[in-house]
Amino acid sequence: MVGKINFYLLDYSLKYILRYQYKNLFIVIVMTLLVALLASTLFISNAMKSEYNTIINSYPDIVITNQKALRDTTIDEDEAYKVLSIKGVSSVVPRVWGHYYFLNADTKFLIFGRDKFETYSNPLLNASSNITKDSMLISQGVKKSLHESYYDEYFNFIKADGSIKKLTIKATLKQSNSLENSSLIIMNTDSAKEIFQYKDNEVTDLGVSVANENEVAFVAGKIETLFPMARVSVKDDLRVKYENIYNLRSGFFLSIFTITFFTFFIIIYDKVSGLNSEQRREIGILKALGWRVGDILNARLYEGVIISLLSYTLGITMAFIYVNLFNAPYLKDIFLNNYDLMHDFRIVFSIDYETLALIFFLSVPIYIAATVIPSWRVATLEADEVMR
Amino acid sequence: MIKLINSSKIYDKNVIALDNVNIEFKEGELIVLKGVSGSGKSTILSLIAGLIKPTSGEVIVGEKKISKIADHFVSSFRQKNIGFIFQKYNLINSLSVSENILLPLVPLNLSKVELQSRLENVLKLFSIQDKKDSLVKNLSGGEQQRTAIARANINSPKIILADEPTANLDEKLSLEFINIIKELKSQNRTIIIATHDPLFFELDFVDRLIEVKNGQIVS
Repeated sequence: MVGKINFYLLDYSLKYILRYQYKNLFIVIVMTLLVALLASTLFISNAMKSEYNTIINSYPDIVITNQKALRDTTIDEDEAYKVLSIKGVSSVVPRVWGHYYFLNADTKFLIFGRDKFETYSNPLLNASSNITKDSMLISQGVKKSLHESYYDEYFNFIKADGSIKKLTIKATLKQSNSLENSSLIIMNTDSAKEIFQYKDNEVTDLGVSVANENEVAFVAGKIETLFPMARVSVKDDLRVKYENIYNLRSGFFLSIFTITFFTFFIIIYDKVSGLNSEQRREIGILKALGWRVGDILNARLYEGVIISLLSYTLGITMAFIYVNLFNAPYLKDIFLNNYDLMHDFRIVFSIDYETLALIFFLSVPIYIAATVIPSWRVATLEADEVMR
Repeated sequence: MIKLINSSKIYDKNVIALDNVNIEFKEGELIVLKGVSGSGKSTILSLIAGLIKPTSGEVIVGEKKISKIADHFVSSFRQKNIGFIFQKYNLINSLSVSENILLPLVPLNLSKVELQSRLENVLKLFSIQDKKDSLVKNLSGGEQQRTAIARANINSPKIILADEPTANLDEKLSLEFINIIKELKSQNRTIIIATHDPLFFELDFVDRLIEVKNGQIVS
C-alpha cells in the first residue's frame, strides 16, 4: 500500500494546502471546533446513558410504592411478608429513603437508610455496614456542599416538626462518579425514619427481587392484584423514566446542535467547493502538462484527507481533554438537573469506538467529497477550455 | 509525423476556429505557423497537443489517432511526447522555478535521483540554475519564459509546440528564445511555433512557413 503512494503528489498537495493557508486554516479551525463539540456532546450523552444503566441495574427488580389519592406515601413494612408468599419472589427489602432539601446550598440530598443485614447490588450501600444511629456516610458532592456551610464534622438535619437531628460524618464515600451517588447520604434506617418522621413500621417502599428475570412481569401482576392501591414499578419502567429525563435534555440539545453542525458544514462546503479562477486555471495547466484526471483527483484527495483527518484528530483530542480531563464544564450542565448535586458527577473515561466512527463518517468523507467533486467537474473539461 | 485530416473546430456560439484543414508535419521539422490573432494557429497547436478535440476530422500524432482516443490516454501521450510552451507561460506563480519545471513529472513517481538529474539538465540548458528556488512571481519575463521552456523540455519530448512565445518579450529576449529553438532543432525535435512575430519569418533554420487565415491554410 505504501509503495503505491506517490510522495511527489503528496508533496504537491501539502504545498497546495500551504499556498491557500488562510482559507485552509479557517477550515481546519471551524471543522476542529465542530468535531470537538459534537464529540463532547456524544461522549457526555453516552456517559449519562452508561450511568443511568448502572443506576437501574442497582435497583430491585420490582418496587412497591404505596399511594393515597394517587400520591406516593409510606407503606407498612409488614406487607413484605405478603409479598414473600408470592411464588418466584426471592427477597423483599423494606427501604427507607427520600430527598432532603438543604437550603444553604439550594440543593437536594438523597438520604438512604440501611441496616447491617440488608444487601444491595449498589456497592456503596454495602460499604456501610458499621454506621451507628448517630453517624452517616456522605458522598464527595455532599461533603463539598456541607463544607461550604462549615459542616465538616457533623450536620444538623431539621426534622418535619422543626427539631434537630445531629449526625456526625463518619466517612466520605470515595466512589462518587455515579449520578445519584454524588448527592448520597447513607445512614442508619432508624435515623432516616426519624428525619422523615416515619412511624416505626413505616418504610418508603418495598424492593422485591425475583429469582427468574423472565417472571418479573408475572410477579408484578400478582403484586398489583395483592395491592390494588399501590404503584408497582418494574426495572424497565424505571429505565423508560430515566431515558425520558436524560434523552429529553440530550435530544433537545442534539437537535439544535445538529442543525448548527450542518449549517456550518454547508458554509465549509461552500468555501471548499467553490474553485476560484486561479484554481481552475491550475487544473487546466496540470492537464496540459500531461496530468490525467485521476492524478488531479488524487492530489485533491490527499489534500482533503490531510485537512479532514487533521481536523478530526484535533477535534477528538480536544473533546477527550475537555470531557475527561476537565469534566466538560458548561456543556455537562445542559444534560444535568441543575437543582441537585449531579454536577459533581465525574464522567468516566471510556473510548466508544462507535461514536468515534460516527463522527468520522459525519466529517471526513463529506469534506473529502467537497474537495474532490468540484475538481473532478473541472478536470473532466477540455484543458484548453479551463485555462482560458 | 503529425497529420490533420479534414479537421474542423467550431467553438460555442458557432465560432469557426478551423475549417476543414489538411496539413502534415514531418519528424524533425521546424515549422512556423503565421497569421493574425484569431486566425486558427493556436487551435492547430491545441489539436496536436490533444488539449481539444476536433469537431470533425482526424488528428494523428505518430501512430496515434489522438482525436479518437480517450482523455486518459491523451494525457499520458502528451506527458511523454509533447512539450507545450504557452503564450502566457501558464506557470504557477506561487511555486518555485524548480517546482514548476518538475510538475509534468509528478504523476510519474520517478526516483529522486532521476528527478534531480533531469532538473539539473534543463536548468543548465536554459541558464536558470541561479533562480531555481525563486518563486515564479518574482522572475522577469525572460526568466519566466525560460522556466516555461525548461518545463516543456523536462520530459525530453519529441514534439515541442510554442504558442506566441515572444509575444511578451522584448527583441533581445526574443533573440535569446530563437537561439534556444535553434539548439532544440539541432536535437532533431519536431517544433511547431505559432506566431505573428516577423523575427521568425526570415530565419534560415526554419523548414517551412505556413500561413493560416480565417481557420484555413493559405500557403
